[in-house]
Amino acid sequence: MASITAPTIGEGKVQPQAPSLRIQDYLRWTVDHKIIGVQYIATALFFFVIGGLLAMMIRWELLTPTLDVMQTGEQYNTLFSLHGTVMIFLWIIPVMAGFGNFLVPLQLGAKDMAFPWLNAFAFWIIPPAGLLMLAGWLVGPPEAGWTSYPPLSTLYSADGQTLWALSLHLLGISSILGAINFIVTILNMRPEGMGFWQMPLFCWAILATSIIVVMATPFLAGALTLLILDRVAGTSFFNAAGGGDVLLWQNIFWFYSHPAVYIMVLPGMGMLSEVLSVHSRKPIFGYRAIALSSMAIALVGFTVWAHHMFTSLTPELRIPFMITSLIIAVPTGIKVFSWLGTIWMGKIHFTSAMLFALGFLSMFVIGGISGVMLASVPVDIHVHDTYFVVSHLHFVLYGGSVFAIFAGIYHWWPKITGRMLDERLGKIHFWITYVSFFFTFFPQHILGMQGMPRRVAVYDPQFQTLNVVVSVAGFALGLATFVLLANMVSSLYSGKRAGANPWNALTLEWATTSPPPAYNFVGDPAPFADPYGYGTRESKEYLETLDKRFPPPVDDSLALTPNPQGTGD
Amino acid sequence: MQQNLLEHKPTRKELQDLRNKRTGLFIFQLSWILVFVCLVIVNWQLRSSSASWPPAGVQPISPVLPTVATVMLLASAWLVRSAAQAMKADEISAFIGRWWGAIGLGIVFVILMAYEWAAIPYSQVYSDVFRMMTGFHVVHAVAIGLFMYRVGRSAQVGLYHSANFWPVEGAAGLWYFVVVAWLLFYVVLYLV
Repeated sequence: MASITAPTIGEGKVQPQAPSLRIQDYLRWTVDHKIIGVQYIATALFFFVIGGLLAMMIRWELLTPTLDVMQTGEQYNTLFSLHGTVMIFLWIIPVMAGFGNFLVPLQLGAKDMAFPWLNAFAFWIIPPAGLLMLAGWLVGPPEAGWTSYPPLSTLYSADGQTLWALSLHLLGISSILGAINFIVTILNMRPEGMGFWQMPLFCWAILATSIIVVMATPFLAGALTLLILDRVAGTSFFNAAGGGDVLLWQNIFWFYSHPAVYIMVLPGMGMLSEVLSVHSRKPIFGYRAIALSSMAIALVGFTVWAHHMFTSLTPELRIPFMITSLIIAVPTGIKVFSWLGTIWMGKIHFTSAMLFALGFLSMFVIGGISGVMLASVPVDIHVHDTYFVVSHLHFVLYGGSVFAIFAGIYHWWPKITGRMLDERLGKIHFWITYVSFFFTFFPQHILGMQGMPRRVAVYDPQFQTLNVVVSVAGFALGLATFVLLANMVSSLYSGKRAGANPWNALTLEWATTSPPPAYNFVGDPAPFADPYGYGTRESKEYLETLDKRFPPPVDDSLALTPNPQGTGD
Repeated sequence: MQQNLLEHKPTRKELQDLRNKRTGLFIFQLSWILVFVCLVIVNWQLRSSSASWPPAGVQPISPVLPTVATVMLLASAWLVRSAAQAMKADEISAFIGRWWGAIGLGIVFVILMAYEWAAIPYSQVYSDVFRMMTGFHVVHAVAIGLFMYRVGRSAQVGLYHSANFWPVEGAAGLWYFVVVAWLLFYVVLYLV
């Protein structure tokens, strides 16, 4: 990146005013990638609340070692089955797709995704699929956990399990269509002057994620097809009595679902690279290492699935899968150290976005270390099916993915809505979340090592004290989310105007109005040569040019006119 | 009118769109073929976890009729390919003959496989996996065949020509997909 220049941004052209979008614009079919992105995020947030309520009921039940809230153990099974499925398939995966949809074309300076119609179609599969999943309550919800191992999912679970499988099938198709769109957009629609090595790291992360989606999700489709046939057509693929094989499901399911955990975390890692660099005003450390480690994770992710089956696997295969599972910590470690190198000696601004990004760093590392522990066969056999596993997966999925999503929301909300989120509420949200998250999930390590099994409503009374700690912290964690939701609502009505580039960032999504107009840019925007070149003279000039094109907003309280974009002279 | 269209020089956006569609179709083929690969793996695992394959007392399936069907499918792929080339050379009548020929061969393939599907006696997981694989494949063949039929009808009214051939190319790409998917299944169901 030798030739860093401050390019012109649509110089000599009239810059459009930010559009004023109304609620109803978001409630109908449209092919605008920005609106589709928001539709994804809003739908996912709805399911986040549903999944969260289910988690609250789980924790309420577990306050005591006996059944009290639930009448039967089966009822309890339905809680964690739907909680897991909703959080994974209807919250994290769609919300990441939402950020990808909103940001990828903007970061590439494109007018839209490669296939706008397909993009809308992929989104509109999700709400009906989600309702199909929840409709399980009408016919007897699934009871086999989000992993749905047969024979629990074939011989014992109610009809809701069939709806579960159909719903997942639809969500998988939506994912594949979305991923094809991302890959084509990133491969074919980069602007002139943006090679792969000038691409924002978020786009790299979405590219790696999409490659995993198109390679792994077909296996989920295959497995679900068999499951549905076993349930409704009387076949016996998973039924040993009919010549089938129960381990068949575990193999195919994990061949999808282990890579799927990287589907859930890689986009978050992409967001982190953006947020950490912008808010510590420093070039990203190890750009190529971060980009290539995403690809390495995508690749190695396909070779580790059987570590979920150490207890049911042929013993000779344990060691090879243990080795591959340990190896995947290497590219992840490369990322973590690159991020530390990024903020090291930086001018850190402790904004809400930055706090959540730092929260990700600390919590994800804990989850990563417990992951390395679980990758080693002896430890895994000791803590298999205990709360240790529950703790690990929540550290990486909540402490990792969800913290990154929160960081992303605080960082890109101004771009999406044109208004700032309240920083004070943001910090309250962060600190309650950070502390209560830790006390919700860290004690579960101890419970697991002491032998408390997961997926039970009735447990040994010796575990009660820690379970009460976990439940109380869990309730606080649940409530903290409403601080964010309240912040979002109040920002929509009375948030401070954001302007085009409130964080002084260099990537292209900030080189247009907030929210961006239809088709995003006037003319073809020229990207700044180094998207993370903070602190250089050229970047200062570039940002000054941007400020001239898109004047920062006048403070609402001082302005006489309601026009937030200044006079636009 | 036709003449004007033929002289139409594609804009930058049209070229971009065509490139996107080609990349998109390629990734779709690459991705969705993996469902068929997955089902091949399912077949292998069921096979390796049972004592004998086919299970004791069950007749193996005769490969004669399916081999005939496979040859027809390959011939249809060849016809589709030459039809698409004819379209790019604006030889519309040659296109139409070959295209309907390909669809005809496809229909014969589907009928033969439907007979096979119905004729196999029930033998627990052995017949289950056979019916699941052939059924899953035929669903794709029929869906893509219907799309080819629509493309053929549109071509008959003169909608496509050398400057506007994407639906033909796309349908052909999907039909190759059907053929490759079938070859995977053919090998695992009848040959090994």
